[in-house]
Amino acid sequence: MPKTRKLALMAMLTAASLIVFIIEAQIPPLVPIQGVKLGLANMITLVAMLILGRKEAGAILLMRIIMGSMYAGGFSGFMFSIAGGVLAYAVMCLTVKLFPEKLLWVVSILGAIAHNVGQLTVSVFVTGTPSILVYAPVLIASGIITGVFTGLGAMFIVRALKHKGSNQNRF
Amino acid sequence: MFKGNNKSWILFFAAVFIICIGAFLLLSNGSIGTVAIIRVDGEVYKKIDLDTVTVAYDIEIKNEYGYNKIHVDKGSICVAESDCQDQICVKQGEITDDGVPIICMPHRVTIEIEGDKIDA
Repeated sequence: MPKTRKLALMAMLTAASLIVFIIEAQIPPLVPIQGVKLGLANMITLVAMLILGRKEAGAILLMRIIMGSMYAGGFSGFMFSIAGGVLAYAVMCLTVKLFPEKLLWVVSILGAIAHNVGQLTVSVFVTGTPSILVYAPVLIASGIITGVFTGLGAMFIVRALKHKGSNQNRF
Repeated sequence: MFKGNNKSWILFFAAVFIICIGAFLLLSNGSIGTVAIIRVDGEVYKKIDLDTVTVAYDIEIKNEYGYNKIHVDKGSICVAESDCQDQICVKQGEITDDGVPIICMPHRVTIEIEGDKIDA
């Protein structure tokens, strides 16, 4: 892929994930449990991992977290985002090559669980209340549900980008 | 490395999901405690023996993150008001045992009830 195209694509994906992140932040929580959220922006990280590469996906994620906390969340949000984001990214980096593309949803689930575990760990330190670990099983369960949706979403996007349209070999 | 078998992975995660829900139901079923601990920003803000409360009262906590009104009653405690965006702490309602603590993450406020443990 030419350098310019790659740069444009990365910028576009960063913008897309930022929009998704900000829109999601406006949705009131579906379940009255702290930390349960869709994590739709992770879809873009997965898509970037598949069509660009792991390094590029990391750069997009980092930009999204930094800019995302400027628009919504502030420094407090940044701390949680970075803890969840980095852990999810690490887990997905390690597992994305181990699974075939049609099992991308498994990678997504593992990432979602890692994200929630990371945030819960930070929460324990920030609040000084270890008893909130009681939420760990709920957050793992919610990671499974939301991970399936974001993973399938990413799979559809990747398929659409790879196989549809007139530019078959674009990616 | 892993074979593309959707079915076995679906079964695997379904099993993990059910185990997690079961584990939470077990863990959240706390034993009755009496001492509520309110923490703000990681520090203990107040300890209240809920058994000795005779007249219900409110505690107002204002910090750099926002405002919470905590309602203290005999044997129970809850967040009555909060100006946080998600309102999770308010929706959670009152707690009476050491099962699940109340967390207002945006304001760094937590309330837990200490179980009847043997204190050294």
